[in-house]
Amino acid sequence: MSQTQTVLSVRGAQRRYVKKGQAALASADLDLHAGRITALLGPSGSGKSTLLRAIAGLERLDGGEIALGDTVWSNAGTHIPPETRRVGMVFQDYALFPHLDALSNVAFGLKGKDAKAIAQAQLEAAELGHKAKAYPHELSGGEQQRVALARALAPSPAVILLDEPFSGLDRRLRHELRDRTVQTLKAAGATAMIVTHDAEEAMAVADELALMDAGRVIQTGAPEDVWMRPVSATAARLLGDVEIFEADVTNGRADTPFGAVDAAGFEDGRPVHVLIRPQAFTLSLDEAGGFAIKRRRSAGTHLVLEFAPAEGDTPHWHAHTAFPSPLHEGDRVSVELDPAYVTVVKR
Amino acid sequence: MTAGTHKGFWPDRATLLAILAALVCAAPVFAVAWIALTGQSDDYLLHLARTRLPVYLAYSVYVGLVAAGGAALIGTGLGWLIARADFPGRKLFSWVLILPLAVPAYVAAYAWLDLSQAGGPLQAWTGGLFPTVRGGWGAGLMFALVLYPYIFLLARDAFTGQSADAYNAARTLGAGPVTAFWRTSLPMARPALAAGVALVMMESLADYGTVSYLGAPTLSIGLIRAWSGAGSLVDAARLSLILVAIALVVFSLERMQRRRARTTAASGKHKPAPRLVLTGWQSGLAVLACLTPLMLGLVIPLARLAWLALNELAAPGLIAAAFHSLTLASISALCAALLGMATAYALRGGGFMATASARAAGLGYAVPGAVAAVGVIAILSGTQGLIDPAWEALTGSVFPILLTGGAAALIFAYLSRFAAAAIGPSEAALGRVTPALDGAARTLGASARETLWRVHWPLIAAGVCSAGLLVFVEVLKELPATMILRPFNYDTLAIIAHNYAADERLGEAALPSLLIPMVALIPMIFVARYLSRTRTPSGTG
Repeated sequence: MSQTQTVLSVRGAQRRYVKKGQAALASADLDLHAGRITALLGPSGSGKSTLLRAIAGLERLDGGEIALGDTVWSNAGTHIPPETRRVGMVFQDYALFPHLDALSNVAFGLKGKDAKAIAQAQLEAAELGHKAKAYPHELSGGEQQRVALARALAPSPAVILLDEPFSGLDRRLRHELRDRTVQTLKAAGATAMIVTHDAEEAMAVADELALMDAGRVIQTGAPEDVWMRPVSATAARLLGDVEIFEADVTNGRADTPFGAVDAAGFEDGRPVHVLIRPQAFTLSLDEAGGFAIKRRRSAGTHLVLEFAPAEGDTPHWHAHTAFPSPLHEGDRVSVELDPAYVTVVKR
Repeated sequence: MTAGTHKGFWPDRATLLAILAALVCAAPVFAVAWIALTGQSDDYLLHLARTRLPVYLAYSVYVGLVAAGGAALIGTGLGWLIARADFPGRKLFSWVLILPLAVPAYVAAYAWLDLSQAGGPLQAWTGGLFPTVRGGWGAGLMFALVLYPYIFLLARDAFTGQSADAYNAARTLGAGPVTAFWRTSLPMARPALAAGVALVMMESLADYGTVSYLGAPTLSIGLIRAWSGAGSLVDAARLSLILVAIALVVFSLERMQRRRARTTAASGKHKPAPRLVLTGWQSGLAVLACLTPLMLGLVIPLARLAWLALNELAAPGLIAAAFHSLTLASISALCAALLGMATAYALRGGGFMATASARAAGLGYAVPGAVAAVGVIAILSGTQGLIDPAWEALTGSVFPILLTGGAAALIFAYLSRFAAAAIGPSEAALGRVTPALDGAARTLGASARETLWRVHWPLIAAGVCSAGLLVFVEVLKELPATMILRPFNYDTLAIIAHNYAADERLGEAALPSLLIPMVALIPMIFVARYLSRTRTPSGTG
C-alpha cells in the first residue's frame, strides 16, 4: 500500500455546549486520507454526528483544531464558515431543496455558465439523466440519495461527508446503494467520511475505520485489524458480538473458563479484559466435557450455539459455527479457543 | 440562521421583532384590563348589570352557539366529503368552498334580510312561508354561512391526514362504516374541529355589524353603546374585559381538546385512506352539498347586492372610502406578514423570549376588534396624559392630540387583532425549511444571506404572502374597531355600508357592501389555492 497523504486532520476537537439531542465532543482526533473512505462508527450519543457537523462548519469548536492541510478551519478562535470550506455533505434525510428539480439541486453549488452542463453530467453519472426535471418528491428514496450524492460531489469538494446516508432505506436497497456509493466515491477519487451506527455497514464501506465513544475517537485502523485487535471492551462491542471476561494476569497469562490465554506484555497482577469473538470457540461433542449446549439457533448465514458450564446454567456464552453442525441442545461439549480471535486488553 | 453560532444573551433581530409583535398584540388587552380595574366606578355599569347585561350575555351565547353549530355541521360535512370521497369537481370545490370567507357576515345579513323580509322576493315566492332572517338565530346563521370555511379547512386537513388504520381496525372489530366514522374518524379529528369552532365563536363574538343589523344585541353592541353613547372609557373597558373573559374560556376549552389530541394522534406509519368513489346520484348529491353553502354564503348575497346596487346611484365618498379601505388593509397586511415572519423565525431559533412572545401575540386571537380599539384608545390617552404636561413645560405649546393620529391608531388596533393570525401560516411554511436544508445550502457554498434568498424565500414566500393576504381580507371586512377609532370624516367601505344599512338605505349600502367581498375575493382565491395545494413534501421523501 502506498503512503497515504493526510487531507484533513482533527486534533483534540472539543464541543462542550450543545443543543438538546446532540452529543458533546470530549477530545476527538481523526485523520482523513486522500482518496480513502473513512467510516466513523459509534453508538448514538457518541458524538459522531457532532464531529461531522464540526468538520462541515455547521458547529463551532470550543477547543482543539480542524485543519485542511495547512489551513485551519476551526479552533477555539477561528471558524471558517461552511460555504468557504469546500466540503460536500450528504445529509441523513438528503435535504434536497424541495422547490428545485434534480438538475437545479445538483447545480446549486456550481457557479458560472457551465453549471447546468456539469450538473447534467453528474446526474448522467448517477444514471439519473432522465430525471433532471423531476422534483424531489417525485423521486424514490434511492434516487433522492443518488441526487444528494451527485449534488455534494458536483463542486469537487476537498472532503465529502456522509451522515448515515443509507438509514432511510430498506435492507435490499441499502446494500445496493452502499456498493454504488462506494464506487461513485472511488471513481471521483474523493476523500470521504461516512458516519454510521451500523457495524456491518462500516466494515463494508471503509478503507479505514474509526470508532467513536463518549466524544472521543477510541480506535482507528483497517477494518479487519480493528475487528481482530480491539483496544478495549467498548471497541470490541462496537464491532459485534464478543464475550468479555475479567481476569488478573498471572505468569503472563490470563485465566478464562476455557483455560488461560496468552497475556504477553502485561505485568503480573494487572487487571485485564479478555475479549473473545464467537468465532474463537470450537465446540466438540465430549461426554466428559465441562460445558453443555443450551440453545441452538440459526442466524441466517451461520449457526449460533449458546453454551454454559454443564453444572448450573449461568452464564451463557455464544459460539458461531458454520452449517451444518452435529451439535444439538443438551449435548455435552468441550471448548477450544482459537487464539487469533482472542485479545487481552487492560481493564 | 443560527446554525453553528452560540446563542448570545441579546435577542437576535427576529426575536426583537417577535417581542414587538407581542407588545402590539398584547398591549391593548392589558391596557383594557388596567383601565377596567383601576378606573373610577360609576353607576352606569351597575345599572347595566341590572338591566341589559343579562340580555347581552344571553345573546352572545345564543348567537355563538348557533354560529358554531351551523358552521361545524357545514364545515365538518364538506371537509369529510372533500377529504374522503371522490366526485366530479372535488378538486375545484376543495378551494372554492373557502371563498365565502371573503364575505363579511354583515354583508350577507344585508342581502338576506332584504331578500326575506316581509314584502321581499322570498316571502312573495313562498307565499309568506319563508322566515325572515333576523334575531339571534338569523345572525348565527349568517356567521355559519360565511365562517364555516374555518372549520372546513381544519376538518379537511384532519380527515386527509388521518391514517386509514384506525378506521380499518374499527371495521375489523365489528363496526359498520357509519359507526366506524363516529367512533374513530370523527374523534380523531375533534381537536381540529374544536379549533375551528373556537375561531367561529370568536368571530361571532367580535362582530358588530351583523348583530346590530339583525337585532341580536350581544356584548359587542353593549360595548359600542357604552363608548359611543355614554362615552365612558372605563365602562367600555369593563365590558371589554367580560368579552375577553368569554373569549379566554372558549380558547381554553379548545386548548384542552388539543392537549388531549396528543393521545389521539395516529401511531405508526401513515397510510392514507382510499377515497370513496361516488357515482350517479351519490355524486350528484355531493356536488349539491358543495354548491348549497356556496350559493347561500357567496353567490345569492352578492347577486342580491349587485341587483340593488344597479338600481341605485353610487353613494358619495365611495372612491375615498375604497381608497382608505385598501390603504389600511395593505399596510396592515404588510406589517402583519413581517411580524408573523419574524416571529416564526424567532420560534425557529428557539429560546424563552421567542416562545413567550409568540404566546403573548397569540392573545390577539382572543381580542375582539372593539376591545382592541378600546385598548388602543386607553394606551393613546394614557400616553397623552404623560406627554402633555412635559411638552407644555418644555415648549409652552399644546401637544397635538394623539387620537387624531387616526390611521396609525387604526393600524395598531388591526395588528393587535390580526397579527397573531399571520404567525401560524409563516410558522408552518418555515417548518418546511429543515435545518438540514440550511446545512446543505451552506456546505454547497451559499452564504447565510444567500441561503435566505435561494432556499428560504422560495419555500416560505407563498405561506408568508397568504398570511398577509388573510390579514388584508380581515382588515377590509373589519367594522367595530374602525367605528371606534376612525378619525372624523374618515370613512372606509365597511363604515359607509354599515351607516347606510343602519339608516335603512340598503340601496346605497349595496355598492360598498358588494365592493368589500369583490376586492377580498382576489386575495382570497390566492389564499384558498395555497391552502389547498397538495403540500410539497420536503426532501425527506
